[in-house]
Amino acid sequence: VDGHVGGSESRALTRAAEAAASALNASPRRRRLGRAGRGTASGALGRGGAFWLLSLPPVVWLALFFVAPLALMAAFSFRADLRGGLLRPFAPTLVHYEQVFEAASYVRLLGVSILMALIVAVVVTALAYPLAYFLAFKAGRRATLYLVLLLVPFWTSYLLRVMAWKFMLGSEGAINSLLIFLGVIDEPLAALLYNRGAVVVTLIYVWIPFAALPILAALSRVEPSLLEAAADLGGDPPSQFLRVTLPLSMPGLLAAFFLVFIPTVGEYVTPILVGGSAGSMYGNIIQDFFTKAGNWPLGSALAMVMLAITLALVLVAVRAIQPQRLVR
Amino acid sequence: MSRLDRLARLLGLLAALSIVFACAAPATTTQPTGTAAPTEAATDEPTEEAPTEAPTVPSTGTLTVLDWAGYDAEDFWVDFKEAYPDVTVNFEIGASDADIYAKMAAGDQADIFHPYTGWLHFYVDEGLVEEIDTSRLSNWDKVPDHFKEIGQIDGKQYFVPWDWGFTSVLYRTDKVPGGIDSWAALFDPAYSGHISMWDDGPGAVTVSSYVHGWDETAITPEQLEEAKQEWIAQREHNLFYWAGEPELVEGMAGGDVWVAYAWQGAYATLLGQDVPVAYADPKEGRNSWVGVYGIRKGTPNYELALAMLDSKLAQATGENVVNLFYYGHANEDVMGGITDATLKEAFSIDDPGILDRTNFTPNLTAEQRDAWTAMWAEVKAAP
Repeated sequence: VDGHVGGSESRALTRAAEAAASALNASPRRRRLGRAGRGTASGALGRGGAFWLLSLPPVVWLALFFVAPLALMAAFSFRADLRGGLLRPFAPTLVHYEQVFEAASYVRLLGVSILMALIVAVVVTALAYPLAYFLAFKAGRRATLYLVLLLVPFWTSYLLRVMAWKFMLGSEGAINSLLIFLGVIDEPLAALLYNRGAVVVTLIYVWIPFAALPILAALSRVEPSLLEAAADLGGDPPSQFLRVTLPLSMPGLLAAFFLVFIPTVGEYVTPILVGGSAGSMYGNIIQDFFTKAGNWPLGSALAMVMLAITLALVLVAVRAIQPQRLVR
Repeated sequence: MSRLDRLARLLGLLAALSIVFACAAPATTTQPTGTAAPTEAATDEPTEEAPTEAPTVPSTGTLTVLDWAGYDAEDFWVDFKEAYPDVTVNFEIGASDADIYAKMAAGDQADIFHPYTGWLHFYVDEGLVEEIDTSRLSNWDKVPDHFKEIGQIDGKQYFVPWDWGFTSVLYRTDKVPGGIDSWAALFDPAYSGHISMWDDGPGAVTVSSYVHGWDETAITPEQLEEAKQEWIAQREHNLFYWAGEPELVEGMAGGDVWVAYAWQGAYATLLGQDVPVAYADPKEGRNSWVGVYGIRKGTPNYELALAMLDSKLAQATGENVVNLFYYGHANEDVMGGITDATLKEAFSIDDPGILDRTNFTPNLTAEQRDAWTAMWAEVKAAP
């Protein structure tokens, strides 16, 4: 399991970093700086040359380790089986896509996973916002200390943190022991662990600090003078928040939401550990076809379907919300 | 940009980087400590030999083994280490049978690899495995015929059997006082919420075919559909599907799991922890799986690889497999020499008929494997 955890987490973090970066780039200040910078050519290379030179390593990296594997996976999903060399030419077939849609349970499970991701993302964003707000406006000089404390658990292994939840929720775990000690229940509650609820609770815990970071970044950029101006114009604290702070932090809020939502749709480590027999998510099915069944083509088709549907959902959401309008 | 803002970004980046690096750190190729590396290549050695004699085994060189985590420990090749102290043995680690197969199919250059029954056909079909010259194995006589046959495909010996074990129903005797005499116990609602099945499609098909008396090598689509429906129904009684033995041992020791599909390693571990458990001798017969070693077709180190497989069958290595992992070993002298009461119990050593009543896992074709694993995925994905 260890290797899988690493893969999932680094993948999630890469995506998280990308989402955070794009959110930061969308900030008004960055835009202004960018526009001003582009006008002034400087140095022998010129502004454009330096830009291309500096972006070469990440572009090459992404092409080799992100675009190429994705293209390979897309190709595999049209391949009948793995017989023969891995790179041999093959006649494309749609049988795996047919199999995905014929077994209706796969598509339904994808729907369940999307719903779970939606719940996790909404709750996490809602819980992370006050946290970030406190750090940005109320914590004062201690903000740095609190931020470090918030992130301390994340220097331990993801696996360890999820295992800790097993001990919390298990039938002889912390919650059951406390409830029995207090006399609230006589028998341990079996419903705490090994179901989708346990997966959602664990994922919420895991994501909160990550989601707080982009919100904190957005809130830190809110000019105090704007709030003073709002107060001068007669705005009481609730309307200051609703009409100044919240709209200005919206890009960070959205970044946090997608940062959590997108990787959670394909999550598979947490369900293995706390999900039980009926707690599998769509990602578990994909993982099984790759690592246990040795059926890469079907696994690839399942992954491509998930990719397409998640992308479509994000595009629809972005169109509906129009984040660029929010930052004006 | 405020100081806090900058710090938030820096910390986020650091956290991301640290996790990425932590994940990237475990390299796939490990070289065990204590193997002082002789660097001369084996191919430089003159290989002149008398035509009547067996080819000489070079005393230096490098051998690469694609194996499962844990088997890279020197305990599991100690006889080779003694006989060939100047040969460097490198290990690559495979995470599952599918992983090992994928690596070999992708052109992995390991000289020796370690698949389990169920996966052997693929290596022969794809021309990835070299035939074993058994006349060169000094320990071959100590391997019982029924193990030898498992490594034979199309009448040729492609694999050397090595580790093996039982699969049966393991249960808590305090929670199931009446005992268990059938695989059907895994479906019994009487144990609802306290059953744990292995997370594996072929394993599930095996259980279904034992219960219904089907021929496991000729499962029809109708039978597969019936198996799917009964495992979907079983899911509401199943607490969790175990992926690794420690997970199952923890569940049984903690009292959450009463009845489970299990290998005898879990049985021996729980006996060692004084947990009240028994290992069923079901009326349909136990199941047994066998791990084998194969030699990659086209390896330049065939002689050394054979020497490694021969020493894998030797006494000290075999005893380590039995004593450290509680697995069986293909050398019958090793099994006959077991004195530990727990281990004798785990392998039913005192029951001479046990292997005759045991069903060995058959080799699957690619079509069977794909159909059975897809069946299991649909069980897990079912509403």
